[in-house]
Amino acid sequence: MSVEKKEVRIAVTDGMLIPSGKDKSVVTAWTISLIFAISSIIYLCVTKPDPYLDILKFLPDGILVTFEVTVSAILLTIPIGLATGMGRLSENKIINLIASTYVEIIRGIPLLVQLFFIYYAIGEFIQLPDLAAAVIAMSVCYGAYMGEVFRAGIDAIDTGQTEAARSLGLNKTETMFMVILPQSWRTILPPVGNEFIALLKDSSLISILAVSELLRRGREYASVTFNYFECYLMVALIYLVITLLLSKAVSIMENKLNYYDD
Amino acid sequence: MTASFAFAQKSIVIAHDATWPPMEFVDQNKNIVGYSVDYCDAIAKEMGLTVEHRSVAWDGIFAGLVGRKYDMISSSVSITPERQKKFDFSDPYFEVTQAVILPADASGDSLADLKGKTLGGQLGTTGVFMAKRAEDVNTKEYDEIGFAIEALYTGRIDGVICDDAIAADYVLRNPKYAKKFKLAFIVKSDKPEYYGFVVKKGNKELLETLNKGIAAVKAKGIEADLRKKWIGQ
Repeated sequence: MSVEKKEVRIAVTDGMLIPSGKDKSVVTAWTISLIFAISSIIYLCVTKPDPYLDILKFLPDGILVTFEVTVSAILLTIPIGLATGMGRLSENKIINLIASTYVEIIRGIPLLVQLFFIYYAIGEFIQLPDLAAAVIAMSVCYGAYMGEVFRAGIDAIDTGQTEAARSLGLNKTETMFMVILPQSWRTILPPVGNEFIALLKDSSLISILAVSELLRRGREYASVTFNYFECYLMVALIYLVITLLLSKAVSIMENKLNYYDD
Repeated sequence: MTASFAFAQKSIVIAHDATWPPMEFVDQNKNIVGYSVDYCDAIAKEMGLTVEHRSVAWDGIFAGLVGRKYDMISSSVSITPERQKKFDFSDPYFEVTQAVILPADASGDSLADLKGKTLGGQLGTTGVFMAKRAEDVNTKEYDEIGFAIEALYTGRIDGVICDDAIAADYVLRNPKYAKKFKLAFIVKSDKPEYYGFVVKKGNKELLETLNKGIAAVKAKGIEADLRKKWIGQ
């Protein structure tokens, strides 16, 4: 990890060319996994339509909810993480303290407990719609982790960049948004992609709120038919497909950022 | 006699989803107690068995039986044809109907009155199955009946459907909910519904022992005592 970081730093400060991260070969771990997952689903549905095809037909709205929750949580997490990361680096003691306390508290409580808290405990005072409660709990939780990623990413940019920007006459905000952040994206994106994937997988926890996401749909089906093995196998394969697609999207973004502007 | 003697050698592990008062729940001393639990103990005493009660989540309670994690389930399991295809049931030990809990100020005397409303219940229970069969009633399946009750309390759903004994317990005995809820109505069904103890398909030895035990418990009037103690009638 540390070696990789160093390379990026040198490249950013000295403008050296980073070798393109694009892997040209077709046989990668990613393609093998995706083909394995998709062909397993197809094979099972064709050879044993009862119950596999039946299960597959039962799940689509669950997949949609999982998607909705994940995408909205990701969109909310980015600004929360950015604000937290910058707050942690802020010289203003109060802002710094608020951001740090938020990270410490949220990181110390399991997401499942936070979900129970926001849905059942706070529910006595404030009524949030199911999906909103789920999205808020997930983004508040992941915002804390993301804050640390942003902090590290911003911190990794050489102070020379700030000094140079300031001596060119940019103010603090301009320096942050026009010079530092665009550069730190390169360092931030890979760990952020990891967080996105973790978030997607953790969205299965909102099953406990009786929100009909993918896992919940699978459990509902299994509770009627007792086909536990078949149901959870199907759910696992579908999660795998979605996660693989998301990880590909992140790596495409990484590759796009991984070249040098002239 | 030989059958019960064989069982006496080892302890029978019984799974309960202990979130279903007054049938099976965890009391303030962290013991699994309730009508079904006492019923099992009474059978064990009659047949000379040693039993061990284990608390298990409802979701997957049948999978655990298939996976040999315990010998039988005593968890207010209603006998249904679908379940009988996969598992063996003992003789019925309790008759049950499905009841609907509504907020005290709500109106409704049948499932037909709840069109467009959302009924909560516990995942994979006969109450939820019944609500799903009803026309234009939305269902929401919670992991535990307590979550559904709490969701009703906080106004997320319009009503809760569950076994009548449990509904009565939440409405009448629970100090938190007693004033807020009412037991609105019993869902009419053409077929009576009974609880039975569940064993793995083909476990004839245990099934026979259980049936003999149930017969003895009923004949000796122990069942009537248990009813008085837990159900109050």
